Amino acid sequence: MKGILLAAICCLFNEAVMAEPSSLVAWTPDTLNRLKKGNAEHGKELSGTCAGCHNETNANPQLDGQLPTYIYKQLVDYKNGNRKDPTTAMNGLASTLSDQDMTDVSAWYGQQAPIQGKGGGNDTTGIVFKGDGKRMEPSCSSCHGYSGQGEKVDTPRLAGQKADYLEKTLLAYKSGVRGNDIYSRMRLIASKLSDQEIKQLADYYSKLD
Amino acid sequence: MIDTNTKRLALFNFWIAFGSFALACVFGIYQVLERSGLFSFIQSPAVYFASVSTHGVLMAFVLTTFFIMGFGYYTATTSLKMPIWNPLLAWSGYAICLTGVVLAAIPLLLGKASVLYTFYPPIQANAFFYIGATLLVVGSWFWTVIMIVMFGKWKKNHPGETVPLPMFATTANAYLWAWTSVGVALEAVFQLLPWSLGLRDTIDVGLARTLFAWTLHPIVYFWLIPAYIALYSYVPIAAGGKLFSEKLARVAFLLILVFGLPIGFHHLYMDPEQGTIAKFWHMVGTFAVALPTLLTGFTVIASLEMAGRKRGGKGLFGWIGALPWQNTMVLAAILSLLMLVLGGFGGIVNASYAMNAMVHNTAWVPGHFHLIFAGTVVTMYLALAYHLWPKLSGKKLFSNDLALTQLWTWFIGMVIMTTPWHVLGLLGQPRRISAVQYNSLLTLAWQPYELLMIIGGFVLLGSACLFVYILFKTQTEGTLEPQTDEPNIQGEAVVSLWLNNFVPWNLLILGLMMLSYGWPILQFFVLKTYNPTAWGY
Amino acid sequence: MNPSSWISKIRSCLNLFEQDIEIENLEKKWLYVATIMVGFFVIVMGIGALVLNVNPPSHWETIDSASLHLSSEFAEDKLGVQPMALPDGTIQVQLVAARYGFYPREIVVPADQKIQFRMATLDVLHGAHIPMTNMSTMIVPGHVSEVTTVFPKPGEYPLLCNEYCGMGHDHMWSKVTVLSQDEWAALKTGGKQP
Repeated sequence: MKGILLAAICCLFNEAVMAEPSSLVAWTPDTLNRLKKGNAEHGKELSGTCAGCHNETNANPQLDGQLPTYIYKQLVDYKNGNRKDPTTAMNGLASTLSDQDMTDVSAWYGQQAPIQGKGGGNDTTGIVFKGDGKRMEPSCSSCHGYSGQGEKVDTPRLAGQKADYLEKTLLAYKSGVRGNDIYSRMRLIASKLSDQEIKQLADYYSKLD
Repeated sequence: MIDTNTKRLALFNFWIAFGSFALACVFGIYQVLERSGLFSFIQSPAVYFASVSTHGVLMAFVLTTFFIMGFGYYTATTSLKMPIWNPLLAWSGYAICLTGVVLAAIPLLLGKASVLYTFYPPIQANAFFYIGATLLVVGSWFWTVIMIVMFGKWKKNHPGETVPLPMFATTANAYLWAWTSVGVALEAVFQLLPWSLGLRDTIDVGLARTLFAWTLHPIVYFWLIPAYIALYSYVPIAAGGKLFSEKLARVAFLLILVFGLPIGFHHLYMDPEQGTIAKFWHMVGTFAVALPTLLTGFTVIASLEMAGRKRGGKGLFGWIGALPWQNTMVLAAILSLLMLVLGGFGGIVNASYAMNAMVHNTAWVPGHFHLIFAGTVVTMYLALAYHLWPKLSGKKLFSNDLALTQLWTWFIGMVIMTTPWHVLGLLGQPRRISAVQYNSLLTLAWQPYELLMIIGGFVLLGSACLFVYILFKTQTEGTLEPQTDEPNIQGEAVVSLWLNNFVPWNLLILGLMMLSYGWPILQFFVLKTYNPTAWGY
Repeated sequence: MNPSSWISKIRSCLNLFEQDIEIENLEKKWLYVATIMVGFFVIVMGIGALVLNVNPPSHWETIDSASLHLSSEFAEDKLGVQPMALPDGTIQVQLVAARYGFYPREIVVPADQKIQFRMATLDVLHGAHIPMTNMSTMIVPGHVSEVTTVFPKPGEYPLLCNEYCGMGHDHMWSKVTVLSQDEWAALKTGGKQP
């Protein structure tokens, strides 16, 4: 009896301190369908604001050709505070967008031709295709694809992305500053990479065409 | 004497069957090399899983279906002594099957259908893969219809007579296939096709697995029956004796037909979506279907013993030595039965309900089905090819000695390859990995077996090449030789009505299938399920 | 028609069947041997299932895999070995199978105590197996798998995915450390870890 009571109290307590999920986005058929029907024309209008910061001159990620599912999830996470922009700019911007806005702007960027890397990249870590069983580290390509093209659900395109941004992101996952990956999957992966390897991987993917 | 049309039909089917077989062996050798991890430059999960998918489809669906169709046409004309009913239909079926194979092969080879031959939704392949697989099944239904019609026509023209055993068994197989293929056909038409064509967003994986299990077990009997036909009809005569008991043979085929069908859940023992009662019931059926195999072992060995003694063999085992080991059909039967015994033991472990947990999806499982399918079944297909090629091409077999070497090497290679798999399975190695990446001491115990596996693979590849070489040489350079008809394998007495028609058995199957699959399928429509969307790989 | 006439009808059918087949003596004996053998296996498993409750993991419970992380049971901070044992002393472990790992990727459980694993998948079909043990189950999208086992031997075990789940399937495994009861008690009471 005492045990059950204890368990009940424990449960209540647990409920109370239950942490926020790392993302409120769920890839239900509804969400995926809504994204398929995004209004790219409306997204184009909205994208004017984005282009101010997301361009060639800085370390902000480039968005052209990124998968709509990924962009949408980041916007929702920014809006809900699951992903925190150190400058808070993205959190502020996302909070002004409706769900439809986020869907549309994702659709617009998804339709753009991705910027190609310069080529000549070489994976010096061995992690891109083989991973490292000793560290329980799956290969990057097993989720992000053999040419870094991403996967329609939950996995961004990496090919041609800015090296600085990729490095910054992996370091943020490693330190836990970024934590909107469901079930900590990227945090666990990044935590096992050395800073040197992160640099090498960022370089490799930025050059992929 | 068999007519030219039947000869051509059989040969065309056989070439596709054995061409696929040889190609699949090449994929096989790549797989053992890749999987061993000894050659890092060939390691690639993408190529490996595309290869495994292709190997499985070619061996399990293409080799078997085309061989069975070709052999069925041959058996029907020779044992019923009548031409193929509606050859146009037969050729149309052939064309549909072939179209299906080509349509499925393109995405498979491009790595766009690496979902293994068991499909595994919600991982989604290119739609052409599912379309191709469906066409292969649809084309084979033409064959099914032709076999059943020919059986009926013969009986009508021979009232009160007994249908010859080979045709009786072939018709049993046609009915078996009709029942078997319904499961996967339902999965393809109502689930995989609309989903892969974008007409539907989600797929009920539990239902898909249940329907696939419906097909997955009896399909092995579809493959096995031609081998049993050879064991019952050709082997005793080749050994210089006669079939010990024709009645028992008919009983065995009927038992396979009836009990082979309602038992697919031994593939789902570890699945959450089916309950213990259904699983237990299917387990009982799985053990029941061991009976016809035990009967076959008994009858065939008894026939061989009679032949051996007739040839002067004495003592408890003397008759074994007196058997004509130089005869390809007899040698194949002996090797085939040996592998059946070994594989059968493994099968009893797999079938043993909760015990399955120890070996489920480990390397034990491919070890088991390579022994039974690639061993027992394919060995008999090979022997049948040696038996039939001269009759179909009108030419003498290129070399009996080479054929014997080929059969021996196939057996040796299979034993060398499957023994390590059984051991690895008991040591917990999963079956479908392209490389060992686990950082665990356990993997050290796996290493020595990888090398053995490669040796077995090479012996098998060599054997497969030799087989194709012998057939090719026979057809192109063989000396013309007048061919004898198949001896009459007609039973001595008129057997009972029970063993001469399929109506009561089909009714029994209907009842058993309702019992075995009624609620297990209905539950997906009655209870709430959450169905996933499509995933890539 | 009343039941007794049905029974007599079936009986006459069976008699007819037996007379028609006229199986020879030797064959008959073999048929008996084979049937007894097969029957023996089935009876042994029947006793195991009914008396000892040795059954494969069968458990109908559905869940929406797509929003697994938003469910209360499989929420991210609820995974792993549960702090409180079930009333009968069984330790419950919640795991999520997702490309490419079982989360959390390292767990510690005691030996000689019932462990109930409850698992669900976030994405595709997976299989879970701890080699040399009977902890094995398929994990099907939309379903919760439940399997209960006891580990007799302490040690470090891999928990392997044994069903093809994509290009990273080879990498899908997690670590299970089984502690002896003494070590487990020490760990629980904050004593020094092994």
